[in-house]
Amino acid sequence: MPPSSDLLQGTLDLLILRSLALEPMHGWGIAQRIQQISRDVLQIGQGSLYPALHRLEYRGWIQAEWGESENNRRAKFYSLTKSGKKQLEAELENWERLSSAIALVLKGA
Amino acid sequence: MEMFSAWKALLRRIIRRNEEVELDEELQFHLERQTQENLAQGMESEEARRQARIAFGAMGRARDECRESRPGFWVERLFQDVRYALRGFRRNPVFALTIVATLMLGIGTTTAVFSVVDRILFRSLPYEHADQLVSVGMVHSLETQGFLMGNTYYIWRDNQKPFEEITSEATGPHECDLTEGTPVQLDCEPVEGNFLSTLGITPVLGRNFLPEEARPGGPDVALISYRLWLTHYNLDPKILNKTIQIDGKPVRVIGVLPQSFEMPRLQNVDVLRAIMIDEVADHSANGGYGSPRRVFARLKPGVSLEQAWSAMEPLFHDANKQIPADIRKDIHLSVRSLRDIQTQNVRLMAWVLFGSVISVLLIACANVASLLMARGTSRQRELAVRVALGASKARLFWQTLTETMLLSIAGAVAGYLFAKGLLRLFLALAPARLSFVHKAQLDLRVIGFTLAVSMLCGIFSGLIPALQRPNAELLTGRAEKRMTHASVRQLLVAGQIAAGMILLTVAMLLVRSFRNLDHQQMGIRVDNTVTARVTLGVHKYPELAGQAHFSEAVEDQLRYGPGVSAVAVTDSLPPAPNQNGGRLNQVVVAGKPPVTAGAGEVITSRWVSPGYFPTLEIPILQGRGFSQDEVTSSERPVILNQILAERLFPGQSPLGERMRFGKLDPDSPWYTVIGIAGNVRNSGLTDKTVPEYYLLRRYGSDHWDTHGVWSRTVIFVVRSSAPIETTVQWVHSRITAVDPTLPIDIATMKERVSSLEDQPRFQTVLVSLFAITGLAMAIIGLYGLLSFLVAQREREIGVRMALGATRSNILRLVMGRSLRLIASGTLVGLALSLMVSRMLSHLLFSVGPYDPLSYSLVILLLIFVGLMATLIPARSAISVDPAVTLRSE
Repeated sequence: MPPSSDLLQGTLDLLILRSLALEPMHGWGIAQRIQQISRDVLQIGQGSLYPALHRLEYRGWIQAEWGESENNRRAKFYSLTKSGKKQLEAELENWERLSSAIALVLKGA
Repeated sequence: MEMFSAWKALLRRIIRRNEEVELDEELQFHLERQTQENLAQGMESEEARRQARIAFGAMGRARDECRESRPGFWVERLFQDVRYALRGFRRNPVFALTIVATLMLGIGTTTAVFSVVDRILFRSLPYEHADQLVSVGMVHSLETQGFLMGNTYYIWRDNQKPFEEITSEATGPHECDLTEGTPVQLDCEPVEGNFLSTLGITPVLGRNFLPEEARPGGPDVALISYRLWLTHYNLDPKILNKTIQIDGKPVRVIGVLPQSFEMPRLQNVDVLRAIMIDEVADHSANGGYGSPRRVFARLKPGVSLEQAWSAMEPLFHDANKQIPADIRKDIHLSVRSLRDIQTQNVRLMAWVLFGSVISVLLIACANVASLLMARGTSRQRELAVRVALGASKARLFWQTLTETMLLSIAGAVAGYLFAKGLLRLFLALAPARLSFVHKAQLDLRVIGFTLAVSMLCGIFSGLIPALQRPNAELLTGRAEKRMTHASVRQLLVAGQIAAGMILLTVAMLLVRSFRNLDHQQMGIRVDNTVTARVTLGVHKYPELAGQAHFSEAVEDQLRYGPGVSAVAVTDSLPPAPNQNGGRLNQVVVAGKPPVTAGAGEVITSRWVSPGYFPTLEIPILQGRGFSQDEVTSSERPVILNQILAERLFPGQSPLGERMRFGKLDPDSPWYTVIGIAGNVRNSGLTDKTVPEYYLLRRYGSDHWDTHGVWSRTVIFVVRSSAPIETTVQWVHSRITAVDPTLPIDIATMKERVSSLEDQPRFQTVLVSLFAITGLAMAIIGLYGLLSFLVAQREREIGVRMALGATRSNILRLVMGRSLRLIASGTLVGLALSLMVSRMLSHLLFSVGPYDPLSYSLVILLLIFVGLMATLIPARSAISVDPAVTLRSE
């Protein structure tokens, strides 16, 4: 199985927010984007993607709108809200700090 | 905040109903897009769809998780569960109704009884900081309620330390007449000026007594009860400062007592009056002892009962020196909480009732749990399907619990309504003397109790079935149906039988005890006898001559009534010990050594007219009764009852002996014994027969007053062969002919005797009612379990029969299980019953707590009824057709 279930919930949220920072996307698109950019390392299963999307939507960080997809089907497009952008910045900062700290520990050990 | 967003989300969902549809569409889109992608990578179309679905995972679970990620989800899920449960109940209404009815019985009876016992066992008394209130006094074997003589009281009042305030009321009874319009007899209690302030009571109208109103020569003022204000003055606010006529004298009303007010000893009160205490005069009254009173006090904060007792002990020690040496040993200091005083007689009974209904409730809950479990087992397939479809175990747990809670709530509502009806029945059954019963009501506290009980019952009975793990293997039809829950149910049924056994035993003992009470030999004839009691008011009958004249006139009138065979006048009636009385060692027999101090046995005395013995048909065993001639002579005859005669003159005839009563008073006259009367069981509810002597009540002379305090109470007793109603009317009309203003308390002797049995009758009826309810429920439980087991083993039974088992083999199989259950339940119940009945031995009359007859009857009844419950399931077991079973295999 892809490592999606091993992803920390917060990490998945961060990945989704980051993907949506560029442009509004539908769920499948988000999963594809993350998979492509991570060179197939991160494969997001729908089982965790959609609950996360719904969670983020209820928190007000992203919003959803029905639109036309690239293959002319009705699809739900998600985009970042204002507070979503703020959240993304804060989480990125947090991530940077955390990962450099972990890197320090790993190098030092 | 969380709550807010939850509700917002819920609201949004209600407005946007298509959210579910949208979610499906979104997921569907994802699936299709993935399929397309797979196709583009060159997969076959079948394979592309399959791969997409594999990548997707369980669609249902993803959908559920999406829903659960919403903030308002738990509210939504609750609604869902409720809807689902209701749908289930509609599909199987008999099941739901059975459970609600069982809960209704259990919760209803418990609630009704709780509302009654609540006042006795748990509720605080209607006084401010009631836990600080105590009764202070001396107690002895004649007077267990506690009293103080005036002279001691003044010393204690002025020297005590443990109490914030101390107060007293005069010992009763204190009948008085409201002599306005139609005369009414009332209870007028004289209390000290600070009585209400000590209890912490403020009148609802007007004020408490002022100190000067409780001193001699003070103004005649009174506080009236709320009830009197309501029934007699129609809640007229102008009652304040109004002057009412009591015993023909004007008394000014200064206040109205609160509706909830009750006297510390719970006696009835219509009018509270201030005792006019003249300490100096009181010191010389009653041979220097002062007048007796009941004393109540408020503990200082932080002082315990024991500390108060120790603090009063030196004062008691001093006072004890004044008490005649021969009874000193029998007198003790008592400092008891007010609640203790109030509930001493009924507390045990209250616990019995409470215990009984709790047993009924437990049986009901066990039944509900058992029913739910049976349903859970038959629903295992459904649950297994739901698990296979992706429902989590927690989800099913909450679902099951929701169902149970819904049933409990329905049961609680039905039970509340049932309790309302039941309480009305209790009030109709309850003896008037049990004032606490009549104050019972379903108030907030009781409703809270009902809710708590039903929730507990719901959780208890819901938890066991909710914890059942659905087994997906069941779907294959291979897995054996597991029997573990059946064994829990067997345990519950055995427990029910045990609880039923306890209930039945208690009920049986009470019923037997009550029958003994009812059948006991009173020593008097109670049929065809009418009694009429009047109290001659001080105002209208100030002189002995007037009182005597009244009695004589009425007696003359009564003698010539229709069918009248005998008429008597007395100051007291069996079956109740007269309050006049003394101790055996206060009796002096001429020419004999005085009775020793140790023999402090209680004796009572009555003043009776010559007609007393023939009217009540009390046999004269030796000598003769009083004659009419003696009424006008100067002789002083006395008649002893058998017990007293045996005590004083063992083995010899007392006729002609001379004796004197009241050792303390050397001037008391000598009486001559002229006869021995049969014993009368006057102590009512106990086994004891008290030694008694009878003195002659005379007219036109003050001889009869030399012995003691002349009671203003006159009781006429008439025996007549005419119909009892006629006699009652006739007696009433004759008394009013002599004095139309007197309130008359008229009753047949039968009524008076049976009123003594009110309390035992009440508890017997109630406990029997609960026992029958409990037994019925336990039997239904047994029946349900057995039918279920038989239904479950139908296939097995069919196979056995096909293999050659006879019907009696099968019968033994089913009955054996039932008998084992009954036997184990009965054994446990027996052990517990023996313990419980030992605690109840005080309530029993002429029946031992281990009465073998009662126990055998109960056990036989249980076995009989248990076997009856077994019959139907057993019949259906032996009628299993092996051919049908084999074909279905």
